[in-house]
Amino acid sequence: MKIALINGSPKVNNSASGILLADLKRNLAKAKSNHHSVKTQIKEISLHNPIVSQESFAALESAEAWVFACPLYVDGLPAHLLSCLIQLAETDWQDHQIQIYGIVNCGFYEGIQAEFALDILQNWCLKTGLLWSGGIGVGGGGALGQLPTLENGHGPKAPVEKALRTMAEKIIQCETQENNYVSIAFPRFLYKLAAQVGWRQLIRANGRKIRDLGNRPDPKLHK
Amino acid sequence: MKLIITDMKNFNIPVDGDYTIIRPQGNIHHCVGCFGCWVKTPGKCVIRDGYESTGNDMGKCTELIFISQCCYGSVSPFVKTVQDRAISYIHPDFVLRKGEMHHKRRYQNVITISAYFYGEDISEAEKTTARNIIAANADNYDGLVKNVCFYKTARELENMVL
Repeated sequence: MKIALINGSPKVNNSASGILLADLKRNLAKAKSNHHSVKTQIKEISLHNPIVSQESFAALESAEAWVFACPLYVDGLPAHLLSCLIQLAETDWQDHQIQIYGIVNCGFYEGIQAEFALDILQNWCLKTGLLWSGGIGVGGGGALGQLPTLENGHGPKAPVEKALRTMAEKIIQCETQENNYVSIAFPRFLYKLAAQVGWRQLIRANGRKIRDLGNRPDPKLHK
Repeated sequence: MKLIITDMKNFNIPVDGDYTIIRPQGNIHHCVGCFGCWVKTPGKCVIRDGYESTGNDMGKCTELIFISQCCYGSVSPFVKTVQDRAISYIHPDFVLRKGEMHHKRRYQNVITISAYFYGEDISEAEKTTARNIIAANADNYDGLVKNVCFYKTARELENMVL
């Protein structure tokens, strides 16, 4: 079966979506080894811009399962990905029997905050004749780049890894799953603190002062 | 001040009181996830295409009004691009509200959100998603929802006063 892994992050490099898709790809290889009769071919597709290229469209057309991975942007999908979905909806996919999975990561700790972004994907499937097959909402996405993936279900990424393992099994077996909402196994208060430290390091690295984090460009708005 | 964000190029809806409108004029670039609006030019998007100051406009408004085509329960790509580019309205630091993680306020104004969605065949599922997202927006902006309405065409909106 052909599986399209679609990176819907606007970031070309070092995105949490890219990390999650790489982890899913590894889990798909493992899942495939449990089902020897299934031959898989993975296509990696990038939707970093609001336009779906002809090449990407052709790759998608030939796949039997699409997995979208993207960040949560203002409680929904990033605008550029929404544009891509609208373009893809110009084709009638009814007869293609393509299964759609979604992985939405958010900077907030709670994966459940990605629920409505997954709902958008599900609504899109209903309108286009694609088969919604379930998703994962990942909380703590901001830390994914810093966390190691440990084998045997250990480490702070373990809940995410488990959700990806389950999704990989479902994809290989052409099955649907309920949406699964997970957070990293890392205390919320420490995640919050680590984020605060990170923003302070970043603003200083940009030659600004820590207090500038709260700047209001219009001076009249300063109290 | 009312801040209206719409995908309607020709806006013919009467508005009561002061307002600022953001609508399609020239090309708008999508957010690239650089967080420059938090750590390089705090409060303002680093992409200079005429749409970089929405976060600041939001800091001045009392009512935020979305008038948008409903796309699978979301606002349209134009309105969403403006929203994505306006995360500088909030501060990068996290706070806990209603038991969930959200962003700290940058500004002191409390925004009341109204959303007017239009589209020929908006399903019930899409309406539910749209209402949920507007409520989630209000939580993230630490604001309130005034109303969320659905219309078959944008033209129907011309009979009302915002």
